[in-house]
Amino acid sequence: MEVSIKKKEAYYTATQMQLVRTRFFGNRSAMIAGSILLFMIVCSLFSGFLSPYDPTIAGRDKNYENGAPQIPMFWDENGFSPRPFLHTLTKYRGADTNFRWVYKTDTEKRRYVYFFVKGWEYKYFNYSINLPGKALDFTIPGLTFDTHLFGVEEGGIHLFGTDKAGKDLFSRTLSAIYISLAVGTLGVFISFVLSLIIGGISGYYGGWIDSLLQMFTDAIRTVPPIPLFMCLAAFAPLEWSSELRFFFISCLLGLISWPTLARRVRTHLLSERSQEYILAAKMCGASSTHIIIRHLLPSFTSYIIVDLVISFPYMLLSETALSFIGLGLREPVNSLGVLLQNATKADVLLNYQWYFIPVFFLVVLILTFVYVGDGLRDAADPHKTKN
Amino acid sequence: MINFIQFTITRAFLSIVTLLIVCFIVFSLMELVPGTCAERYLAFKNTQGSQITFEDIEAEKVRLGLDKPFLYRFGKWVSDIAVKQDFGDSCILRMNINDLLSGRFVLSLTICLVALIFSYLIAIPVGIISATTKYVSLDQSLKFISYLGIALPNFLVALCIMLFMTVYYGDTMTGLFSQEYENAPWSADKVKDFLARAWLPIFVLGWNATAFALQTVRALMLDENDKLYVMAARARGISGMSLLWRYPAKHSLGPVINSIGFDLNRIFSALPVVALILILTEAGALLIEALARSNDQQLAGAIIFLLTATIVFVNFVTDILLAIMDPRIRKGVMGGS
Repeated sequence: MEVSIKKKEAYYTATQMQLVRTRFFGNRSAMIAGSILLFMIVCSLFSGFLSPYDPTIAGRDKNYENGAPQIPMFWDENGFSPRPFLHTLTKYRGADTNFRWVYKTDTEKRRYVYFFVKGWEYKYFNYSINLPGKALDFTIPGLTFDTHLFGVEEGGIHLFGTDKAGKDLFSRTLSAIYISLAVGTLGVFISFVLSLIIGGISGYYGGWIDSLLQMFTDAIRTVPPIPLFMCLAAFAPLEWSSELRFFFISCLLGLISWPTLARRVRTHLLSERSQEYILAAKMCGASSTHIIIRHLLPSFTSYIIVDLVISFPYMLLSETALSFIGLGLREPVNSLGVLLQNATKADVLLNYQWYFIPVFFLVVLILTFVYVGDGLRDAADPHKTKN
Repeated sequence: MINFIQFTITRAFLSIVTLLIVCFIVFSLMELVPGTCAERYLAFKNTQGSQITFEDIEAEKVRLGLDKPFLYRFGKWVSDIAVKQDFGDSCILRMNINDLLSGRFVLSLTICLVALIFSYLIAIPVGIISATTKYVSLDQSLKFISYLGIALPNFLVALCIMLFMTVYYGDTMTGLFSQEYENAPWSADKVKDFLARAWLPIFVLGWNATAFALQTVRALMLDENDKLYVMAARARGISGMSLLWRYPAKHSLGPVINSIGFDLNRIFSALPVVALILILTEAGALLIEALARSNDQQLAGAIIFLLTATIVFVNFVTDILLAIMDPRIRKGVMGGS
């Protein structure tokens, strides 16, 4: 009895955020998806540390092109080893292999995997800004590291195999997840700001401003987004640097996907602005900006967060589709769409199946995002009592 | 009745305004593409060996009307479409866009609409089952499949099916016709051949749309199922299928019809990439060609306009349909009768 009263008391005095949190933590599938997602995000943030090779052409392995994944093992016919090892591969071609390169495994020579080894250099917080004019160019050196989680002393270790240039697919996949997430985040941020401004103006002022803006928003919503993306992405000249392209594509994603969110913001504002607490604030003489920032925005923060998470997978998918057809990001930038491009030939399915490993990560990434978004939506819905 | 006609006219007017805004956006985009049609054409001529001078470019600009101000050309573009149904000439292919598009656009539209119909035919019953089933595991797995429909983008599905077909059957299944019918006139055999191949793009395009429609139907049914009128009907002893179809399903139908336009939007959105992978020779593929390869602004503009116009039209039709079917909206339209 004592416990149940306490429980009830806790329930009734909890803040909105606390309630949302409790409901979200109670949702098993969303929690599982959330942990996987968190794991992937952390991995992508530490991609430099986790990947044994540079994901760009600089890190290619000339002696292992189109190589199959190498899985470290603990034992073979020669016995057990506490330190994981790989067998040595030698490149060979001759009349018996129809003059195609094949890799011969030498099970006698073991190559041991070492941890926290020194390797290629990766940087954090490193930015170089190129403004017009020599004097304005400057570089923030940031932090440089060269320690990697694992590596081998001679030859290479390629957990996911290599592509046709010999680039390590494991390193590329990690950096691709990072880039795709970064594009998505930037895109979501831009669309968030736009939708807040446009939806905010439309919902707060109402009247003819609202009708006009809604007409415009609806018109943009009716245009199929991917063709519109393609139309806009075609503006980017081929000679643009990969960083500029990256920024441009993120901006496009944001510029096209704001209408849905803007509409939601408007609807919330329209229903909130006739509430009594807004009237009270107005009668106290508060300005419009003050009311919007102090009273209206906090009233639906949770909805906005949910909408942002829900719109994230669509950003990723759009970026992937764009890069896939060659209008989005391009090599040397890695993104999931760029990696997918390599897997389009029948040759790949027959001989180099490991090219499909990034596809698996794309699907898992989007699935987890959808599950987390769904869980958040259910948790933020005050009318929902069960689930 | 007069109210209804008034409603229809207002809706039609609003649709036209939407279309005009879309026209303006599309036309401005076409203008923003670096280089004009005249320069492109003359650059093409230059590769053929004839010398081009600055005066030639100017003369060509005058011939194409590019020396006129932006708004004038916009007005001309719109009025040509509205009055003559003429999209002008393609910049690169030097052909009239109408001739280029006429057959292909109808083909794309057919594929997309069939995909849409199929996705609803599957999504509505499955969504209802998912929402009302007693078995949590069935609901969960249906939910997982519908999420997979989002997470597996349709170009990926197309790619996998195509690669699989190539490797194990030796036939790529790409294109809309087999080679002997590619340029043949329409006949019974050609239709048969078309149907034998069209299932793949229809399936691939319908795949995402089904997943989305499934979620819509499921969410709506869950919402309606808890409402008091359903409980009242249950208390009166109605149960099973007759209860479902008479009460919650009927009520959820309105929002489902409302979502048709957006589902069509989604299918159109997926069309170009799928067309690229499956090597379809229809409007979607032409769009990629126009944008990615040749920067053909006239053609790209025309295709985007046609796609959007179709969506606007479908939205208009569904609005009218809703007003006829849903008594709540009907009452609002007819004014209390």
